Amino acid sequence: MTGSTTPTARPPQTPPGEAAVRRRRPRQLAGRPGLYTSYAQHLRLLNTRPKQIAVGVIVLVAFALPWLAEDQTLSLLGVAMAASIGAIGLNIVTGYAGQVSLGHAFFLAIGAYTASALSGDPADDTIGFGVTNVVVWLLAAGVVAALFGVLVAPLATRLRGLYLAIVTLGLVFLGEHIFKEWQDLTGGAGVGRPGPVPHLFGIELNSAGDVLTSDQKLYLLMLVSLVVLGLLARNLARSKVGRAFAAIRDRDIAASVIGVNLTRYKVIAFAVSSFYAGCAGALVYTITGFIEPTSFNLLLSVQYIAMVLIGGVATISGSIMGAFFITLLPALTRQLPGVVPLISEDASAPLNVFQVETVLYGLLIIGFLIFEPRGLYGIWTRIRNYWKAWPFSY
Amino acid sequence: MKELFSSILAGLGQGSMYALLALGFVIIYKATQVINLALPALMLAGAVLVSYLVGPFGFILAVVLGAVGIALLGLGLERTVIRPMVGKPVFVVAIITLGIDIALRVVVNGFIGTDVRQVGDPWGFARGSLFGVTVQERHIAMFVTTAIVITVLFAFFKYTRLGLAMRAAAFDQETALAQGISVSSVFALAWAIAGGLAAVAGTFVATGAGIDQQLWIIALKALPAIILGGLDSLGGAVVGGLSIGIVESLVATYQLDFAPWLGDNFSVVSPYVVMLLVLLVRPYGLFGTREVERV
Amino acid sequence: MAKLKSRHTALVAAMSALALVAAACRAGDGGGGGEGEVATDVGVTQEACPNTPNKDNGCIYLGIISDLTSGPFAALAVPITNAQKAFWKRVNEQGGIEAAGGQAFDVDVTSNVKDNKYNPEVHRQVYEEIKGDVLGLAQTLGSPTTAAIKNDLEASNVVSAPASWTSAWEVEDVLIESGTNYCFEAMNSVDYAVEEFGAKSVMAVHYPGDYGEDAAGGAKAAAEAQGLDFSAVETDEGIENQSGAIQAITSKKPDLVILTTGPTDAAVIVGESAGRGYEGKFIGTSPTWNPELLKSDAAKAFEALYLQSGPWAPFGADTPGHKAMREALGKVQPNDGYTAGWVWSYPMKAALDKAAENGDLTRQGLLEAVKSLETVDYEGMLPEKAGNYSGEPNDAVFRQSLISKVDPDAPTGVTVEKDLFTGSTAEGYEFSEPCF
Repeated sequence: MTGSTTPTARPPQTPPGEAAVRRRRPRQLAGRPGLYTSYAQHLRLLNTRPKQIAVGVIVLVAFALPWLAEDQTLSLLGVAMAASIGAIGLNIVTGYAGQVSLGHAFFLAIGAYTASALSGDPADDTIGFGVTNVVVWLLAAGVVAALFGVLVAPLATRLRGLYLAIVTLGLVFLGEHIFKEWQDLTGGAGVGRPGPVPHLFGIELNSAGDVLTSDQKLYLLMLVSLVVLGLLARNLARSKVGRAFAAIRDRDIAASVIGVNLTRYKVIAFAVSSFYAGCAGALVYTITGFIEPTSFNLLLSVQYIAMVLIGGVATISGSIMGAFFITLLPALTRQLPGVVPLISEDASAPLNVFQVETVLYGLLIIGFLIFEPRGLYGIWTRIRNYWKAWPFSY
Repeated sequence: MKELFSSILAGLGQGSMYALLALGFVIIYKATQVINLALPALMLAGAVLVSYLVGPFGFILAVVLGAVGIALLGLGLERTVIRPMVGKPVFVVAIITLGIDIALRVVVNGFIGTDVRQVGDPWGFARGSLFGVTVQERHIAMFVTTAIVITVLFAFFKYTRLGLAMRAAAFDQETALAQGISVSSVFALAWAIAGGLAAVAGTFVATGAGIDQQLWIIALKALPAIILGGLDSLGGAVVGGLSIGIVESLVATYQLDFAPWLGDNFSVVSPYVVMLLVLLVRPYGLFGTREVERV
Repeated sequence: MAKLKSRHTALVAAMSALALVAAACRAGDGGGGGEGEVATDVGVTQEACPNTPNKDNGCIYLGIISDLTSGPFAALAVPITNAQKAFWKRVNEQGGIEAAGGQAFDVDVTSNVKDNKYNPEVHRQVYEEIKGDVLGLAQTLGSPTTAAIKNDLEASNVVSAPASWTSAWEVEDVLIESGTNYCFEAMNSVDYAVEEFGAKSVMAVHYPGDYGEDAAGGAKAAAEAQGLDFSAVETDEGIENQSGAIQAITSKKPDLVILTTGPTDAAVIVGESAGRGYEGKFIGTSPTWNPELLKSDAAKAFEALYLQSGPWAPFGADTPGHKAMREALGKVQPNDGYTAGWVWSYPMKAALDKAAENGDLTRQGLLEAVKSLETVDYEGMLPEKAGNYSGEPNDAVFRQSLISKVDPDAPTGVTVEKDLFTGSTAEGYEFSEPCF
């Protein structure tokens, strides 16, 4: 990355407007890297140079990390990345299309069970077909979840706001009941079943090999999936479909007046969102290696909503930041008692470290949303804007 | 036939608890357009508070004091945590209330400790006979208490200035402000009332078996109740709560005989099935206000 | 231009700093000491434990993963954890674990205590966090949670004491259970009821999952062996969810109900069934009971109808082990969580003793020690042969349980009615896999 963008290498300043439009690649104003000089540029996937560089660097560092960080850290980051995929999915339906869904846990479950049933050992007590190829079961998990999303979508065409939220919540409760009862598939409550078995090109990703440990391999699997699915989502958001979503979110009646087919786009939103949720469910439980049917409850759905809100509504990078925040937060709060030595470690004492951990988790979410309602993305925007106007920032 | 009536009566008792909780949800929703997900924690806190007060004060006074205490707690929460969020997106506020729920419940669990706590109610599992149908006394007590509470509440909304102010604020906040109504105290009052109702509900739910750390889950049953009745309808909340209670009780009594294929414990999720079915026909619940679509 | 440059420099600086930090992170598996006579690898140091009376001893670190705040078993898990802390404190005060060559080790169970919230994912995460610092786990609470880390426990030879009574762990080497499991407990309860009251029909009212279904499986096996009518009713947690179970009990009127629920749900089921005129017997398991139930409105029904099975005698019993436990705990509110936590610690102590004696406190060495354990000294709380961890599950599994009756004067509300026994069903049962 060194020397990739020395300012002197930039072309001379060109006035915005006609000149920029005529050129195939509109140039940027030197010193104003964040400035969009044409609509085409605004719509590009990575629309400013700093963004291209930053994303490139982050991805590079992320790919280098398996050889730098410890296995335990990698496994945590892997979960965070898999959760990011789920958060992106929820952000598509809730952030971009404005349909609040508390049913995300249900779709995660569908994905997780589809994947583990496909890849499971046929000799086990629970259903398994022995198709262990990651690509196959990951796509299947997404597609099956998407089908369920399409089934649910008609509800969204009739309901709005909190009604939709609570109805999708009902889906979670019904799903939990079915998963508890369908013991052939799930093993039943309190018993559970093994998670998906990830094999790729004959490599067992879930056991240590000669070159890489299982945590390193799974981390790379999560990273590749996140990069691919993240780019696809970003691409969807800037397309015709993405604009239709935004129109529906901002005012659905207005959207239908300008010719957006509400039913069609709500179905698409739910299908895409569920696809992502299905993939995320499959991947998260590949790392955990074990699925217990009561995990897919209200709390899980709400965690994903929190990821979206804390990260930033209707942003892909925000979804990822939010997912990392919510996934890593418990690990961070668990470290805290070591720093604050006054709290009792005796679990029977009032307000011991374990209670403080949980309370802190709640309080951090509250504090975050009160002081930065636009989420991590909002913080980032403010930092960016500060530097954009520097040294005349205020 | 007796089994049927006894099942319905038990459902009415349990349902009246859902009704109280649903009223709490609806009152806050009408005032602030927010679903208060901290209500389960408030309910648990109410029951625990009563279990501490019942020794020195006796059951009835303890319930009243407990309700007042939790009402003050609700008021305090609104003043400190929710107030800064006025005008922010409602879903952000809803998640904040969930944060309150997580934090508050851990603190309350600390007061429950390792043992089951008793609220010291006078009924226990004693059974009485009503028109020849056996019914638990505590279910009758639940129903009667709820009837009294609801009557007082509706009279409050109808006949007092404050109640009128709350209705006005729910109808149109800006106009209410223009008429000199303090909308912010309406918000606080809504939280206080919801807290008090939750405390009463929590106490009565805990009659008989006592309080353990999982009691809060019951409050979630009020969610299908409010959707069934319509999010912004007080009467709907009551009807919704009672119907959910009856449906649940009937399913528990008959489902294993008539539809065992639905699985054990289907009654636990039956409220959600009812909710889904009703919403397919009436998207704003039974009594909810239809949103006017203006282009 | 300047701002662009500064930003990039900052970025480069940040990235390289991150890389440095990360590089520092990924180190090889840190081996333990090694200069001593005793072989060690992970979680054993030559330095003394923090806060120990024996400054010359080395230190064995054991982890505890329990349900300490918001999970469904928090009320039981906190006393279990405290009893284990007291147990190992007593071991240390008595000089610790003595190894070959005159070396001794204290055992530290307080530095690595984690809350799993009874969630398999959280359980796995906190396990990963402490895994590199501990030799084994003094407690891993819950079945689905333990199942989530089972593969890694096996792969890394992490010997662990599970805090659950399910029959699923009897077939695992790294998991050292104490006493019998719900499955045999329920068999013995049914046999007992047939003997004592001539029960002709049995109903298992149970939670879903490893806890309830294990007991239901045992009850079913016993009912089949004895030729009794058997039915099973699954019920969910939550006092408002028990009407189905109550309906089933009062309409079918079985002579015996094997109850595997939590205390408040048990209160509703027993209280309401009695209120509706049910006159059969209930036999519950230890997690079904809580002494505070005697203050509840269901107290009369409990006194009349309820018996309790258990893998060992309750808190107030009279064995040397029970006395030592009460002494070590000092003034606490009696609770059978303490008893369980205390009993569960004996096999781990026996295994550590044996491994230290063999001069091999590595994970592998500890596992070998476990596999060679044929008896464990439970100080009278269980017979020595209950601690048989060698051989096939069918030979090694312990089949005795006891029956207690409600006694308002006892510390935890129950006293032993019939001491440890093996019923005829359990005697003949071929045990090769979990009962559910």
